Amino acid sequence: MRTFAFARADSVARAVASRQGEPASAFVAGGTTLLDLVKLDVMRPSRIIDINALPLKGIERLHDDRLRIGALVTNTDLAYHPDVLADHPLLSQAILAGASSQVRNMATTGGNLMQRTRCPYFRDAAAACNKRAPGSGCDARHGVNRMHAVLGGSSECVAVHPSDMCVALAAIGATVTLHGPHGEREIEFADFHRLPGTTPHLEHALDGELIVAVTLPPPLKPLGTAYVKLRDRACFEFALASAGAMLSLDEGLIGEVRLALGGVATKPWHCREAEALLAGKRAETGAFEAAADLALADARPLSHNAFKIPLARQAIVRALRDAACAARENDT
Amino acid sequence: MSDITEPRVIGRRTPRIDGVAKLTGRADYTVDHRLEGMLHGYPVPASIAHGTLESLTLDAARAMPGVVDILHHGHFPDLHRSPNSMRQGNAVSEVRLPFEDDRIHYHGQYIALVIAETFAQARAAAFRVEARYHRDAGVMTGLAASDDEGEEVRHYTRGEPELAFGIAPVILDETYTMAAESHLQLESHATLAEWHEADQRLIVHESTQGVFYQRNALARIFDLPEERVEVISHYIGSGFGNKLFMWPHAVATAAAARMLGRPVKTVLPRQQDMMTTGHRPASRQRIRLGAELDGSLASIQHDSLTETSTVDRYVDACGGATPSAYACDSVATHQRILPVHHGTPCPMRAPGEVSGVFALESAMDELALALDMDPLALRLKNYAHQDPQRGLPWSSKHLDRCLESAAERFGWTARDPGLGAMRDGDEVIGQGMAAATWFAGRQPCAAEVELRADGSVVAACGTQDIGTGTYTIVAQTVAELTGVPIERVEVRLGETHLPAGPLSGGSMTTASTLPAVAAAVHDALTALKARATEPGGSFAGLAADSLGVESGALVADGRRADFAEILARHRLTAITGEGSAAPGDERREYSFRSFGAHFVEVRWDPGISRLRVARVVSSIDIGRAINPVAARNQVEGAIVMGIGMALLEKLDYDPRDARLINANASDYRIPVHADMPEIDVELLDHPDFRFNEFGARGIGEIGLTGIAPAIANAVHHATGKRLRNLPITVEQLVEGN
Amino acid sequence: MMESTVHPPEATVTVRLTLNGIPVTVGVSPNAILLDVLREQLGLTGPKKGCDHGQCGACTVHVDGRAMNACLRLAVMCEGQAIITIEGLAGAGHLHPVQQAFLDHDAFQCGYCSPGQIMSAVALLEDRRIAGDVATVREAMSGNLCRCGAYQNILAAIQDARLRLHGQEGGDKT
Repeated sequence: MRTFAFARADSVARAVASRQGEPASAFVAGGTTLLDLVKLDVMRPSRIIDINALPLKGIERLHDDRLRIGALVTNTDLAYHPDVLADHPLLSQAILAGASSQVRNMATTGGNLMQRTRCPYFRDAAAACNKRAPGSGCDARHGVNRMHAVLGGSSECVAVHPSDMCVALAAIGATVTLHGPHGEREIEFADFHRLPGTTPHLEHALDGELIVAVTLPPPLKPLGTAYVKLRDRACFEFALASAGAMLSLDEGLIGEVRLALGGVATKPWHCREAEALLAGKRAETGAFEAAADLALADARPLSHNAFKIPLARQAIVRALRDAACAARENDT
Repeated sequence: MSDITEPRVIGRRTPRIDGVAKLTGRADYTVDHRLEGMLHGYPVPASIAHGTLESLTLDAARAMPGVVDILHHGHFPDLHRSPNSMRQGNAVSEVRLPFEDDRIHYHGQYIALVIAETFAQARAAAFRVEARYHRDAGVMTGLAASDDEGEEVRHYTRGEPELAFGIAPVILDETYTMAAESHLQLESHATLAEWHEADQRLIVHESTQGVFYQRNALARIFDLPEERVEVISHYIGSGFGNKLFMWPHAVATAAAARMLGRPVKTVLPRQQDMMTTGHRPASRQRIRLGAELDGSLASIQHDSLTETSTVDRYVDACGGATPSAYACDSVATHQRILPVHHGTPCPMRAPGEVSGVFALESAMDELALALDMDPLALRLKNYAHQDPQRGLPWSSKHLDRCLESAAERFGWTARDPGLGAMRDGDEVIGQGMAAATWFAGRQPCAAEVELRADGSVVAACGTQDIGTGTYTIVAQTVAELTGVPIERVEVRLGETHLPAGPLSGGSMTTASTLPAVAAAVHDALTALKARATEPGGSFAGLAADSLGVESGALVADGRRADFAEILARHRLTAITGEGSAAPGDERREYSFRSFGAHFVEVRWDPGISRLRVARVVSSIDIGRAINPVAARNQVEGAIVMGIGMALLEKLDYDPRDARLINANASDYRIPVHADMPEIDVELLDHPDFRFNEFGARGIGEIGLTGIAPAIANAVHHATGKRLRNLPITVEQLVEGN
Repeated sequence: MMESTVHPPEATVTVRLTLNGIPVTVGVSPNAILLDVLREQLGLTGPKKGCDHGQCGACTVHVDGRAMNACLRLAVMCEGQAIITIEGLAGAGHLHPVQQAFLDHDAFQCGYCSPGQIMSAVALLEDRRIAGDVATVREAMSGNLCRCGAYQNILAAIQDARLRLHGQEGGDKT
């Protein structure tokens, strides 16, 4: 583990300013990604700025019924927050399907958006990886790529975005508040993460900014949700494929519907076209399968991960089925 | 020594005497030791698997704060290779010395050892060491990527297996593979070495399953008399076989301590631990079975190929249990090894046999289906009432009872044999079974027991407690034989200045150690009785052999005198007994094995391709369990490890360059709490007095044998897919892949 | 100003924390990890290093009442925080009810993961948001690997301790 300087930020503005003066610096909140990767010599910050003293730990219901979540709210506190449990159960389900109790106690809302891939070649400083060392190549494309992406990849990078929480945020359609040298701005969650393309080292929309909040839209009601996460072991495991679904039913027909995928794509994968296909359809297997096929129409397997396509299809169909089932129960 | 037929403490559920130390954080594992002036070592691993180290650039690392020295090929003392002899007790895991030359044989091989004042400084500097390599062509990435059949190292034949196979009306010929597995013991390998220049002594704290083997090997390597090397291992954060014999980090650390004149501690980072300190090698096994129409086995042929490294010849003998598994006149086993560019493999819990039992018990299930027989009935049909390999009677075998009892508790008769026929909502229930077996062996052992004037007893033996409960069963033995309450018994293990004890391996510790401890207790009591019957003694004038022992006292004629009272009367602080024990002639009269049966229920959800083990019911025949609660814990833990073997565990070597890419506790998956099924373990209680006076055979390994095939057989029952390659992962199961 | 509080890599940063109920001041490097500081500088070797990457849970301690992986936390981040390790769970000469339950149920073998298992179990039992059913407990404990596989007995110990601590009804939301 290399050495680095350390500073504590006592205001958002100063945190951002501190980073401006030292571009190779990194913010630390929970530290669960950063310190893991610093120990592996994969991330090499010259300075670490501790932002835990910043006033970003609240969850606030806004006048328009949106829910503003401070960037430093831990995954645990978010998952168990009464408003989240009541209005955005998919978010709670997705968070609790990820990591361990300890990691969820440490990891934060903003940090989860900044989670790095689990690609073993990214995590091995001696391997070729365009994300870690631009231009060095991609050892994963023809290496052990069982865990890699079938959606959103490029010839430069096929690393999966590992977050569960972000799958729920993609489905819910959150906005992210960023604070930079020139003030605050809000962006759609869907625009926060970038596809790898030819620049896999550029992972998100941040421009010297700090994530200060994630805001959820007003809840859809009555609705059913389901987060189906398929993985090798039963728990404390990254997804091979996951699907987050939420939908409302109107006389057996699908009203509002949201669908997003994890474990199969290079960023949290929002399935807009599949949603459009489902809207107004009867909530039954045929419709779910058609939606799954559409969501995966562009999926391209690598040498070891072709199984992810049928597996993701199953995750989608089951998540939609269970969400519809829950919607029926919630309606009665 | 007479058999212990009506014990009071032995065989009773006994809380572990080391429990409080472990549960309060006070137990002193090797990694917890510190010494004044101690330095920290951090190895630098090779980033290639096959080639030459062309150059090391150390300037940046040397300039880092706290760095004291960096050991490497050009800066390391001349040492001697260990003779690597089991007979001499100096076997090592890797004969090659660290930094011996500039050749790279496997990913992670040490190319340097950074020594610094603190752990953080050593690690920071290790990251600044720069290495240049020349990669050689012809890297061997594993047996799965090769048609090479390797070199034959062992074989066994009886009868005419090929002929019998050729004429058998029902035959089966299938190949089974298993991926390489990591022990992933939670305490990494660690060495704390201290060199005393004045008297040329080397003291080493090591997390090891064999303090004496390591002492003897270090003595040879550093050319020291054995009595000037001391190895200490009070608590071991488990080993499962990879801590049986010394690895190169210990040699490098001891060399550093001698070079620098200060204690040096090296704790292997998890990644390096997984790369350099052994694993269960991958295997490929071909099983050929020939049977009569009534199910009688006519022929068993078991051909095994396992990996070894290019620097050692480790043999994972898969066919070890096959010749004695079933009554069959014609049996052959062949064992071959293939060198690949991985770190050297080593024994891992039930080495060889657990892989072999997977192949054989999977094949038996397949044969049962081919014969349209119940798999349980096929096992009973071919029951070996005596050992068909040696032609000797078993000392004690109750496998039939294991099979029947476990089947009954499991509800086997309610099983619908149709594939996929048992459904429950979204899930399909699959049920499978397999037999378990592991050899029963003993090693020579010495022990010492001290009866103290304060009423306590101290027992000492240079074996180890690797988590199996050795501290407690030694204390139970002393309590049993002296009547002293177990709270007053102190047990010392894991030091080479104690009487020589066995390796903690092969499930032999209990059977080896307790008879020696018993002999030492009897020796001490004999000495005490002699004192007590001397003139002026508490029982002066009586014959020593007329005295009885009761509750920490000698008794005769309705009188009693506490041990303490007798010692005080003779102005003694303690009286000491020594004892030793070793296997004897019983080996010529009987065959010794443990047996068991596992019945497994899996739940398969085809809609989401989710497979999980829901229920395991096992019956195990290990003779007598000295501490039933700890013994059952061994089997339950083995079942969990078996779930990992069957469904999760695989060391992933890159098929292009043999680099190990999942050397961590996340990408290499072991079962977590949530993977645990309902487990029901029964320990049959049939003491095996032909084996030793305690009737105990050992329980560390047998539970792991048979779990993986029982799961694979249940998976077949649920899914209709016969999966012969472990681990069974979702890509083998998902429809449409 | 912010810049005045930047500690260079070679600095020793003074951290004040409450460790097992006792105020402690310790000087650490900016890159020192809490687990290493506890073990190497403060002499508390109960928290164990198993993986050093938050993958095994052997290092679990309580930070301001929450179970955390001490291996994934900088010591300098703990300024002003209250840390409890296995050594501080019960008074001298006593066992915490969870420790006693682990002993009674033989919920360990080698013991190396036990301090982490116990710290997670105590946190779980103290957190009323976490349901008390077996499936939830198994999930909540899954950040603590036990390679000896003593999971069955650990589960039994936790559920037994639940009764000892909360009685028949308490702590059980389901």
